[in-house]
Amino acid sequence: MTGVDILAYVVAGVALVSAAGVVLSAKTIYSALCLVGNMVSLAVLFLLLNAQFVAAVQIIIYAGAVMVLFVFIIALLDPGHDPDYEGPRRDPRLWVGIVAVGYITAQVFALAVNGTTYSKADHVLQGQRLAQAANPGDQHSFAFDPGSVNAAGNVQVLGRELFTTFLLPFEITSLLLIVAAVGAVYLTRRLPHAPMEPPGATSPVAALPEETAPEPGRETVGVG
Amino acid sequence: MLSIDLFPLLLGLSAAMFTVGAVGVLVRRNPLVVLMSIELMLNAVNLAFVDYGRYLNSEDGQIFTLVVIVVAAAEAVVGLALVSQVYRSGRELDIDDLSEMRE
Repeated sequence: MTGVDILAYVVAGVALVSAAGVVLSAKTIYSALCLVGNMVSLAVLFLLLNAQFVAAVQIIIYAGAVMVLFVFIIALLDPGHDPDYEGPRRDPRLWVGIVAVGYITAQVFALAVNGTTYSKADHVLQGQRLAQAANPGDQHSFAFDPGSVNAAGNVQVLGRELFTTFLLPFEITSLLLIVAAVGAVYLTRRLPHAPMEPPGATSPVAALPEETAPEPGRETVGVG
Repeated sequence: MLSIDLFPLLLGLSAAMFTVGAVGVLVRRNPLVVLMSIELMLNAVNLAFVDYGRYLNSEDGQIFTLVVIVVAAAEAVVGLALVSQVYRSGRELDIDDLSEMRE
């Protein structure tokens, strides 16, 4: 066992503990903190798996942008109390669901472990066979030679794939981003006749002075 | 470079993280924690993608991981917008109370 393997074990343990912390934390902000720890440890695992670009994207977008959004919403809303810690749910269907999830996960785990017991030489050969069968003479196909990947660089290989083989998913992803941005702006507009004061809470949102009275049609104009 | 023996370990970590996230979605009633549990499940899937991609000497898993990250960001944005709008409409932040669309 090399030092890299020991590091992988430690980081995997941190990832699992922080994942449990997301679900078990009593305060929402602690859940967010555990999720950040989980994402950072996953980024370390991505680095160990020779996925440098994905690790960087994981840090910048997930642990950076998405978690800042979460923390912003937590600080803005400040639920004050958590309904989970005022009493457990009593729906029996919940436990059926948990047992089903555990069973399916055990099945997936058994499948994954049993399906990955063949040796490394076997899977390299299998990848090369698949690559030659799918696209003879094309180096952009299924299997990559690790040496050529390291020579060209992870980002270059990913970028070439992203703009050639996977161009359509890439463009659809950009469309999804636009739809999500427009949807978020539309969803967070002010409701015309909603009470602004949440029950029994004095949040910074409610303390802010009311903006101009909502005119008819104003909220739909602001979207575009 | 990670030795080949650790790929089942990382797959098991992925499965365990997915289970923890799914249980979080099922048992927690705070919608913010539920959204974070969904992010946890997506992270577990990302780990499985990168793990298998490394194992099979393919870069395709990493590319799909990038797509999943973008989808997760979009999902978080829309989900948090919904949560903030529910809060501003004056209701408690409790998943069980938000059942108007059930019938």
